[in-house]
Amino acid sequence: MDFLNNLSLGFSIALTPFNVMMAVAGVLVGILIGALPGVGPPSGVAMLLPLTFGMDPTSGIIMLAALYAGTMYGGTITAVLINTPGESASVVTCLDGYQMALQGRAGTALGIAAIGSFIAGTVGVVLLMLVSPLLARWALSFGPPETFALMLLGLTTVTLLAGDDPLKAYISMMMGLMLAMVGFDIISGDARYGFGIAEMMDGVDFLPVAIGLFGLGEVLAGAEQTGKTQMAKTRLSLRDVLPGMADWVRSRWAIVRGTVLGFAVGVLPGAGPTVAAFLAYTVEKKVSRHPEEFGHGAIEGVAGPESANNAAATAAMVPMLTLGIPGSATTAIMLGGLMMWGLRPGPMLFEKNPEFVWGLIASQYIANVLLLILSTAFIPLFVRALRVPYSILMPLIVVFCITGAYSLKNNVWDVGQMLVFGVIGYFMKKLGYSPAALVLALVLGPLAERALRQSLIISDAGLGIFFLRPIAAVLTIAALLAVAVPVARGLLAVYKRRFA
Amino acid sequence: MRSADRITAVLLLAFAIAFSAGALKYYSWWGSGGPGSAFLPFWLGVVMALLALMMFFKNFQKPELRSDWMPRGEGLRRMLVVLGVTAVFVALLKVVGMILGTALYLVVLMRYLGRHPWWLTLAIAAAAAGFNYLVFAHWLRVPFPEGKFWISEGMLWIF
Repeated sequence: MDFLNNLSLGFSIALTPFNVMMAVAGVLVGILIGALPGVGPPSGVAMLLPLTFGMDPTSGIIMLAALYAGTMYGGTITAVLINTPGESASVVTCLDGYQMALQGRAGTALGIAAIGSFIAGTVGVVLLMLVSPLLARWALSFGPPETFALMLLGLTTVTLLAGDDPLKAYISMMMGLMLAMVGFDIISGDARYGFGIAEMMDGVDFLPVAIGLFGLGEVLAGAEQTGKTQMAKTRLSLRDVLPGMADWVRSRWAIVRGTVLGFAVGVLPGAGPTVAAFLAYTVEKKVSRHPEEFGHGAIEGVAGPESANNAAATAAMVPMLTLGIPGSATTAIMLGGLMMWGLRPGPMLFEKNPEFVWGLIASQYIANVLLLILSTAFIPLFVRALRVPYSILMPLIVVFCITGAYSLKNNVWDVGQMLVFGVIGYFMKKLGYSPAALVLALVLGPLAERALRQSLIISDAGLGIFFLRPIAAVLTIAALLAVAVPVARGLLAVYKRRFA
Repeated sequence: MRSADRITAVLLLAFAIAFSAGALKYYSWWGSGGPGSAFLPFWLGVVMALLALMMFFKNFQKPELRSDWMPRGEGLRRMLVVLGVTAVFVALLKVVGMILGTALYLVVLMRYLGRHPWWLTLAIAAAAAGFNYLVFAHWLRVPFPEGKFWISEGMLWIF
């Protein structure tokens, strides 16, 4: 069978010593990055991307994907022990996880999260493996109009990514698109917005931007905090981490629901692990027979969201691999990496680079097993890492940001660019804008523009081409609705305030 | 926050207008059978201008909620010092060199932010600079800026 051949090809690649080492390194660094407040998955992937330039792309993506999975679990440690999310997908875990820690059940909370993550991650990879080839085959029939409509949908759903203020999310997204316009235009050869500066004419690279916004920007925001964090006291030997029978019985359906929900949400463009975790928490609270326990240490409130964010992190790979459309800031950066390694993201990837795709899929199975082992066996070690004071961590992170930005093209210009976007990222965070939306748009911008112009060249109905072809029409209308709904809701709110 | 949003909106509006106008003035609107290099930038500028206007007029009647989105005192000072030291490091990167610069940067910031003992500060700075050298310069063969000769020579004299 075709499918088994592919999988065994994948395992033969993922199980080479170097690639296993990369997966271990990815998971370890990922747990650490996830655990440290202030650096999340996007900055982790952005900072480590330069390390992969010298590698085979398959080894590179194996490390980054393992890192992504690791961060999802790492964030939980911080959420449970310090009541601060280590990364945004663990925000809801604070609610019940920290309460459990106060009751002396931190070990159980972390244990159920690890097991839930393992189950969700593994089921996620199975689904990824089954869904992706089908989706890729279907997407092979896409022409430029369908591609553009899909990208438009990915961009207009960024409000899901950003949360609070849709208007600011759209502004962030537009900013990313405008930055994407800078540099040589492939079709006409115009050096747009270059101002005669050679580095500007080359365009704005997403990597220094991402490192600046997520890495340096977060460090600057963190530098303001002068207070000390308090860690919940707890015992965390292996025995404390294994959940008891009663806990297991209470959480098993939460894990199943979290997995299914997480995967479904993760596949959507624009919605990633954070949205999945929030939804899973809401669902658990709704279906629970004792909703009053939520917020006071209900184990389902940890098991559900933690499973959901891992399933979503895996599912987010589906649109990235099959359609070339990232669903989150992290996968956007990975997609940028793919292009840097010289691969062309999109449906052809499965046919042209099977070793890359199947190596990645197989390595995700391995990464999940590694995650389970490392997260239960080495919890005390990660907890100790959390005690490293911010005054040591912060300068080290900046050094990593600088080295990463420099080694992209070995020039200081990129480092300066990183610095500028660090300041912009700081203000964006302070004023409620969405760096994730900006990066997503910056990566998608050039691809979207090319698809748009190609569509208009082949069209004899102008923009009508996006409504005349059935798939394109459905996607375009969905994209327009994604904009219209928040706008209508906003107008309605203004109307009510004024006249009611 | 509201006044900050207003100011941002005005800046964004000006930027968007300049962006669209620049596209129309310098780039081609329609090229070989399809839209040229000015087409998308122009429309992006228009949409951005609309969004900026929406933000400007949003919450017109809402009272100022709070204006403490910027830190004050100690917090602001720490943020500015981190930013300033980082900017100096980046500006001097070509003069000081990456490896030595990394070590110096870490020493300065760790001493300022945490007042850790000297031995710890120096050990971490040396370890991080060494790691940087080993992984990036040696293993990945990234040609780091080496810095001006007289600085490394001068440092040798000091020690």
